Amino acid sequence: MHLIPQSASHFHLLVSIFPSIGLIFLLGFYVTALVTGDAATKRGCLLLFGILGLLTIPTYLSGDRSMAVLSRDPKISQDLMSTHFGWGVTSIALLALTGAAALIELWRSRHVERLSNDALHLVLGLAIVSLILIAVTGEVGWEINHHELRLEAAPQRTPQAWSHVHIILNHFPTVGFVFALAFYVAGLVVNNVVMTRAGLVLFVICAILGVPTYVTGAASMWALTGVPGISRAVINAHRDMALLTLFGLAFTGVGAWIELWRFRHLGRFSNRSLYLVLLLAIITLGVMAETGHRGGQINHPEIRVATDILPTDPKLGWSPAIESLINHVIWFVPWQTVHFFGFSLIFGTVLAVSLRVLGFWKSMPFSAVHRILPLGVFGVVMNVFSGMLILFADSARYLNAPTFAPKTALITIGAIAVLYFSLSERLWTVKAGEEAPMSAKWVAALVLLSWAGVIMGGRLIPYV
Amino acid sequence: MEYDNTAIIFMVIAVVACVLGLTFFGVYCLNKIVDRNVRASGSAREP
Repeated sequence: MHLIPQSASHFHLLVSIFPSIGLIFLLGFYVTALVTGDAATKRGCLLLFGILGLLTIPTYLSGDRSMAVLSRDPKISQDLMSTHFGWGVTSIALLALTGAAALIELWRSRHVERLSNDALHLVLGLAIVSLILIAVTGEVGWEINHHELRLEAAPQRTPQAWSHVHIILNHFPTVGFVFALAFYVAGLVVNNVVMTRAGLVLFVICAILGVPTYVTGAASMWALTGVPGISRAVINAHRDMALLTLFGLAFTGVGAWIELWRFRHLGRFSNRSLYLVLLLAIITLGVMAETGHRGGQINHPEIRVATDILPTDPKLGWSPAIESLINHVIWFVPWQTVHFFGFSLIFGTVLAVSLRVLGFWKSMPFSAVHRILPLGVFGVVMNVFSGMLILFADSARYLNAPTFAPKTALITIGAIAVLYFSLSERLWTVKAGEEAPMSAKWVAALVLLSWAGVIMGGRLIPYV
Repeated sequence: MEYDNTAIIFMVIAVVACVLGLTFFGVYCLNKIVDRNVRASGSAREP
């Protein structure tokens, strides 16, 4: 297998995800910088907008060359390619303009302390419009090569909607990780707390997004089973790496979350823990790159080269071995029990913290209930691993249950919303006898409802 | 391979005890670290 692109199409697939999905994460960092007013983070974001603007050049050139190559392929629709090209040129021109505006402001303000608010808002507006246009471009882009998205559902064991979601979703943890790492390293180098915390938050979000990515990946496997030209052995090679990625994401995410939690209580980071998170993130990114490459091999024959040796035996690999092991009922039983204990820990923690925020037990300051949050986070870790093993046992049945998709979506929403409890400055300063701010109450209600929905969605699987 | 009920119950208790034991130990250690640091610095950052 080769990770370094050897064709324009391969290069285009890789480079185009940065100006598109990367822009979402950069906008997240940028909004954080505008809200916190941190000048170093604002400048870091402007520089990254400039880099994304420059990336539009290789994106355009590689896209133009792939179009020339793919136009000879009778399976590729010329109309779709022309539509993608039209939207693509418009969106990357606007992104290049965003990058230019960001770099000009950076250059203009090099000798002054303060950045111009008008320029910052102009960059924000241009970036949002670019993102909308890029979303349309990307959607048309997937359709060029992913013919399976238009297949009839009947012969497959799960709907193709899962494949579609997986194709989009898998880029979020991967590209997000690159941006998180960039901000995290910059934060460590310039010793900036906002950048370091923003990097840690994004590591946690990427880890949470790893769950729906893995689940939709498992569903896509069934949706692609039996589709001509798609090898189950190649899918299994991708699954094996995805499993390692899930572990890497979980360890990095938990490490990052613990640092955020500890920072809240102590007001400083532990250098040893920060470098441990960095090491875990670098290893995970390496594994994720290989996972992504193996995923690309499944349905992108145009990126394969003559020296690529693809696996041919669908029974080889860790994933089929775990599937076989967990299907011997005895191995299944303890993990079901662990899964229920995990939910007890999560819901118990969420209930206590949310009820304090909603106005119960006012004799306690918020910081006292914040102390118990690790219990819930460890419950999430328990359930990600036990849930993954349970999913392995009979994935097609679980994935076709009508309550499984809402359950997965609610896990993502509930877990991301919990981050608010460790990030909000206003909530942290709520003393004994004080009411929490109204925004915190809305988040607490969302967290509580999400996790209640997760439990109900899980329990309903065998019955609906 | 066949297992009797006792073996299954023992297996469930062993796995759950290990997982929950690790979890509670992790939470204990984290809170201990916070307490120690708060004591060492002399002032709690907690409101």
